[in-house]
Amino acid sequence: MTDMKSSPAGRSGAAAPAPDPASAAPGQTATTDPLGAAPALAGRRRSEMLYFALRNPKVILGLSVIVAFLLFGLLGPLFSEFGPRERNAGPLGAAPSSDFWLGTTWTGQDVFTQLAHGTRATFQVALMAAAISAFIGMTMGFVAGYRGGRLDEILMMITNIVLVLPVFVVVIVVTAYLGISNTATQALVIGLFNWTWVARAVRAQTLSLRARDFVDLARLSGVRTLSIIRREIAPNMASYLVMTFILLFAGAIVFAATLDFLNLGPRGGMSLGLMLQQANQQAAMSLGLWWWFVFPGAAITAITGSAYLTNVGLDEVFNPKLREM
Amino acid sequence: MRQWRRFLVPLAGAGLVLAACTEDVTDDVADGENVDEAEDTDDADSANAGEFPRNETVYTGGAEWGTYEDWNPNTDGEATFVRGFLYETLFWFDPWEAELKPWLAESGEWIEEDVYEVALRDGITWHDGEQLTADDVKFTFDLRDVPGVEFPELDEWLDEVEVVDDLTVRFHFSDPRAGQWDNVLYDREIVPEHTWGEMDREEIPEASGEDITIGSGAYEYHSHDENRARYERYDDWWATEHLGLEMAARYVVDFRNESNEVAMSQILQNELDLSNFFLPGINQVPEFGESVHTFYSEEPYMLSANTASLIPNHDRSPTDDADLRRALAFSIDVDDIVDTGYQGIVEKADPTGMLPLWLDQGFRDDEVVEEHGFSYDPEEAERILDEAGYVDEDGDGWRETPDGEDMELDFIVPSGWTDWELAAEVIEENLHDVGVNVVLDFVDPGQELDPRRDSGDYDLVFDNQMLLQNHLFAQYFYLYELPVLDEQANRDNPHRVENEHAWELTQELARLGTPPTDDPDDDERFMEIVSELQEITLEDMVIIPLWYNGLWSQVNDSTWTNWPSDDPDTPNYYPTTWANEFMLGGLMTFTEIEPAG
Amino acid sequence: MGRYLGRKGLIYALTLFVAVTINWMLPRFMPGDPISDMVSRAGLRDPEAAARMQAYYENLFGLDVPIWQQYLNYWGSLFSWPPDLGISMWSFPRPVGDLVMGALPYTLALLIPAILLSWYVGNKLGALAARRKALDNTVLPVSYLLTATPYMWLAILLVWFGGMQLGWFPSSRAYSGNLVPEFSMSFIGSLALHWVLPFLSLFLVALGGWAIGMRNLVIYELESDYSNYLGALGAPPRLIRKYAFRNAMLPQITGLALQLGVVLTGNIVTEVVFNYPGLGLLLLNAITSTDFFLLQGIVLFVVIGVLICNFVIDIVYVWVDPRTRTGLQGASA
Repeated sequence: MTDMKSSPAGRSGAAAPAPDPASAAPGQTATTDPLGAAPALAGRRRSEMLYFALRNPKVILGLSVIVAFLLFGLLGPLFSEFGPRERNAGPLGAAPSSDFWLGTTWTGQDVFTQLAHGTRATFQVALMAAAISAFIGMTMGFVAGYRGGRLDEILMMITNIVLVLPVFVVVIVVTAYLGISNTATQALVIGLFNWTWVARAVRAQTLSLRARDFVDLARLSGVRTLSIIRREIAPNMASYLVMTFILLFAGAIVFAATLDFLNLGPRGGMSLGLMLQQANQQAAMSLGLWWWFVFPGAAITAITGSAYLTNVGLDEVFNPKLREM
Repeated sequence: MRQWRRFLVPLAGAGLVLAACTEDVTDDVADGENVDEAEDTDDADSANAGEFPRNETVYTGGAEWGTYEDWNPNTDGEATFVRGFLYETLFWFDPWEAELKPWLAESGEWIEEDVYEVALRDGITWHDGEQLTADDVKFTFDLRDVPGVEFPELDEWLDEVEVVDDLTVRFHFSDPRAGQWDNVLYDREIVPEHTWGEMDREEIPEASGEDITIGSGAYEYHSHDENRARYERYDDWWATEHLGLEMAARYVVDFRNESNEVAMSQILQNELDLSNFFLPGINQVPEFGESVHTFYSEEPYMLSANTASLIPNHDRSPTDDADLRRALAFSIDVDDIVDTGYQGIVEKADPTGMLPLWLDQGFRDDEVVEEHGFSYDPEEAERILDEAGYVDEDGDGWRETPDGEDMELDFIVPSGWTDWELAAEVIEENLHDVGVNVVLDFVDPGQELDPRRDSGDYDLVFDNQMLLQNHLFAQYFYLYELPVLDEQANRDNPHRVENEHAWELTQELARLGTPPTDDPDDDERFMEIVSELQEITLEDMVIIPLWYNGLWSQVNDSTWTNWPSDDPDTPNYYPTTWANEFMLGGLMTFTEIEPAG
Repeated sequence: MGRYLGRKGLIYALTLFVAVTINWMLPRFMPGDPISDMVSRAGLRDPEAAARMQAYYENLFGLDVPIWQQYLNYWGSLFSWPPDLGISMWSFPRPVGDLVMGALPYTLALLIPAILLSWYVGNKLGALAARRKALDNTVLPVSYLLTATPYMWLAILLVWFGGMQLGWFPSSRAYSGNLVPEFSMSFIGSLALHWVLPFLSLFLVALGGWAIGMRNLVIYELESDYSNYLGALGAPPRLIRKYAFRNAMLPQITGLALQLGVVLTGNIVTEVVFNYPGLGLLLLNAITSTDFFLLQGIVLFVVIGVLICNFVIDIVYVWVDPRTRTGLQGASA
C-alpha cells in the first residue's frame, strides 16, 4: 500500500483520486495527475492560476450555475409569499403559469417555493457534509503520507476497509437505526463515510511533495511537522484540495437527495430529494404532474453536473497539458 | 477488446435466465396433492402450467400488509384470502341490510335465552373430499382457550359446544352476548378437524406453511412468494349447488406492493383489476370514468370503512380535561382535510363517530347531537378555552393551562403516511389559530408510533380502529373497554378513558341484537343504551371523530366487468379484499364479476 | 503478484471481520427491541402468553445466551453450510437466507448487465470521442448530463415516459401477474420486458461516467511522451491509439471496483421506484419493518458480494497489467 509512488508510468492509475463513490462520476478525475500537477503549481504564481481559471469556459459556466443556484436558495424563499409545505397556495396540481412559475403540487403547494427552500437545504447539507469529509480525508491523508511508517499502515488500512464497504448501504443502515432528525446529523453521517478516496489521494500527493527538496530543507532546518504541513505542503496542494472539495460537494448532494428520497432524511422541512420523494409517493407520474418531479431532479442534475464541469475546468487550469485539448 | 465482447453480450441475458431458474426452485412449492392435481389437468389440455390466461385471472391487491407467509386461519394476520377463499365462516354480514346472511350455515337462531343453534348445509366438502360436519364446527370453537387463537375472550362467555347431529351444533353460553356472537359467526373460519386435530393443540397457533390450506372455499392455494399469492378455483365448491354461485375467474393473483403509488400505475396499465390501495387522486386521472372506476362515480367515490379520529390521552394532563377536548373539537376544520388532503374521496364524520351504516339504521340520537355535538367554530373553541381558564397570561401567544403552566401538546404522527401528515398539519394550523400550542412529532409508524400509542406516551394521536362491524357494540368497546393496561397493544381504548358506567352499558349493549329483533323490549333497551352512550361520549368528548376513511377500492374493467358500484345495474357488495372486511361482501364481489368482451 | 494479492486478501479479510462485527453489534446495541415489537404485533391479550411468546422468539433467534456466546454463535452460523442467517420477522417464519437468495437473482440481473455493458459501451464511446472531434462535441456534454443525473430521477422519468406516456413498458414488478416463475419463453420474455426500464436507469447513468473517463484517459495517453515518441518514429496512428487505449484501460478496471458502491446505491432506489423485487427493495422492507435479522443478512450478503467483486477485479488487473505479474507492483491497494 505504500508503493504508490513507484507507479512507473507516473500516471495516476489505481492511485488516482477515485471519484467520490456516491457521485457516479467514474474516471472524472483520472486525468488529475497528482504527481504531475502539483510540482507545476509549486513554481507558478497564484495570480496566473486565477487568470487561467477565469478564462476557462468550463470553470466559468460551472461556477455560474452553482452560484446561481446558491443565490436562488438564499434569496428565492424571500420572493415567495408561501411556506414550502403550505397547501392551497395555488390551485391544486396546476401547470406552470405566470402566477405559479413552476406549477403547483397535488395539494396546491407552490413548486417554486419548494424548489427554493429545497435548494437551500440541499446546499446546507452538501456543504457541511463535504467539509466534514474533506477534513477527515485530508487529515488522514496528510498525516499518513507525511509521517509514513506504522501510522501510515494503520490509517491506510482503515481507509481501505471503509473504501471497500458499500458506503451507502452502511449509511442506510446507520440511518435506519439512529433515525435522522435534522440536516446536521444527516451531513455528519454522510461526511463520516465519504472521505476515503480523499484520504488516499491526499496521501499520494503528500508523499510526492514530501520527497521534494523544499520540504527536506524545511525539515532539516528544524521546522515542526505541523508547520511543514501547513506552510509547505498544504499550499502546494491548494489547487488539488479545491477540486477535491468540489467533488465532495457534488457527491454529498446526490447522497443526501438519495437518503431523502428513501424517506430516511430529516423529518419536516423541504429538500430536493424530498420533493422527488413526495412526487413519487403521490403518484405525480400517473397524475401527469410532470413539473413536480422534473424541476427538482433537473436542479440536482444541474448542480452536480456543474460541479463536475468546474472540476474538469480547474483540472485544465492546473494541469496545462490538458488545456490545449 | 474483442474477447470482451464475446462474453459480455450473453451476460446481459444470463442474468435474466438466472432469475428464471432460481425462482423456479424457490417459488413453485405448493402442497403436494394440489399440485399433482393441477398438473394432471394441465397436461390434459396441454396448457402451459406456468401461465394463467389473462382473461381467466383476476389481479387484486391492497390487502396484504405483511408477506404471504401466514396461512393459519386460527390466528390474526393471516394472508389475504385465507379467510373467504380457502376457509369459510358460518355467516357473512351484509352492511347494506345490517344483517347476517347464512353461508356455511343454513340457518342459526337463539332457541333458548342462552343457547344458539346452527344448522349446517348438507353436502359441503373440504378440498380433500372429506365432509364438513358439526364436529368440525365444534373442533374449531373448542380451540378458543388455546393461547394465541383468535377470540380468546370468547372463552369467558361461551360455555360449551354441543354436537346434536352431523349438521346441527348448539352453543351454550354462560353470558349470551348476542351482538358480539354475531361478530364471531362471520369472523371465525371453520377448520377441518381431520387435519388440524392431528396437531398438538398448543402448537396450532404456530402452524405455518402451505400444507395447512385445505379449506372448504371457492379457491385453493396455488403458490406464493413475498410479493404475490396465487389461487386456483376449486370446482366442486358447495355454493354452486346450494346457492347457484359461480366464480368466473379460474385464477386469482393477489399482489403486495412496497408502497401505494405503485398501484396507481398498475391499475392504469390494467395490471390490477381490483385495487384496495389508498390512491389519492384516482378521481383525477384521465382514465377515471373510462376504464377505471370507484364505487361512486362522484364524491365521496368510496364507501366508508372506519372512522378516523383524533385521540386525546385521558391519562395525561392537560388532555384529561373534557373542556380542552371540547375546544379542540370545535377548532378543527375537517372540511379542509377532506377537500385538500383527500380531495373529496372521504366524507366528514358524524360527531357521534357512527359509520353511515348506523346512521342509515336510525341509531343516531339527533337531540343528543343537537345539544352536545360540535362543528368547526374557532370562536366557540376560544370561548370554551377562555371560560375553562386556558388563557395566555404571559403574552407569549400561547394559552397556558388553568394552573398557569405552559401548554404544549405532543401530537405524534406516522411519518410517511402522507394523508395523515397533511391532516395533522391542518390541525396544527387550526389549533395555533385558537392559541393552543401543538407540536407535530413525526415518528416511524412501526418502530415508534405504535409503542408510544400503546403505552400512552402522547397527548394527541390519530387512530382509525373504529371499524365497520356487525353491531354498534364494537364502536363502544373501542371507546370504553376496561381495564386499561400499561400496554394497550392491539386493544381497544387507546385513549385510556376509564368510565365504569359507560363500560357497563357497552357490555349490556353487546348482549342485545341489532334492532329490529323478535323482542320489542330488547329493541327499546338497545335504543336507550345507544342514546345514553352517545350523550356520554359527546359530553365527555372522549375522542374527536374527524372523517370516515374509505373502503379504498378502484377497479379497472378492461378484463373483468360487473364490479360493484352504485349503478343499479351492477351489484352493490362492498368491493374489498381486506381480511377483516372480506366477509362483509368482498367474497360476494367475486361471484358477480364477468369476463369483459 | 503473490504479495499483491496477499495484501489485498488481508484487507478483504479485515473488512469482512469489521463488517460482520458491526453487523452483529448494531441491532444489539441500538435502541428499540425487535422481539418485543413482534410480540406486541401478534396482539396477545394475555400477558402470560406474551411472555411465553417472547421467550420462544428469544430462543428461536438465539438471544437467550450470554452476549459473547451470541457473537461466537454468529460467526459459527455464518460458516456453517448453508449459512444460517436467522429467521426473518418481516416474513416470519421464512429463513433470511431464503429471502435473500430469492431476491438476489433480480438484483444480479439488473446489476451485472448494467455494470458490464455500461463499462464496455462507455469505454468504446469514450475512445471514439477522443478520436473524433465532432463526436466528442456530442458525447461529452451528454455524458456529463447522464453522470450528473440522480438515479431516482432518471427512474422516475423512465416510469413517466416509457411507462405512462408511451405505455411501451410495464413500470413495476419483475414479471406479469399471470405467470408463475419457470423456464419458459413467455416467462423469460415477460422478465425481459419488465427489466428494460430499471436496467436503463442504471445503465445510462453509469454509461456517462465511463465515457468521460475513457475519453480523458485516451487523450492523456495520446499526448504523453511515449505516444509522441512513437509518432516521431513514424508509427501508424492506429498503433499509437491501440497502445493509448490499452494503457487507458487500466484505471478504468480499477474504477470498476470503485463504482460498485455507486451502482449499488442506484440499484436500491431503482428497485424502489420500479417496485422490482431485488435486494434493494428487500433492504427497505427490512428497515421499515425493523426486521434486524433480515437487515443483517442483506448487508452481509452485499458486503461479501462487493468483496468478491473487488477480488475478481484485482485478479483481472493482474492479468491485464503485466507489471503486477513481473513483480513490478503496478497497482497499489
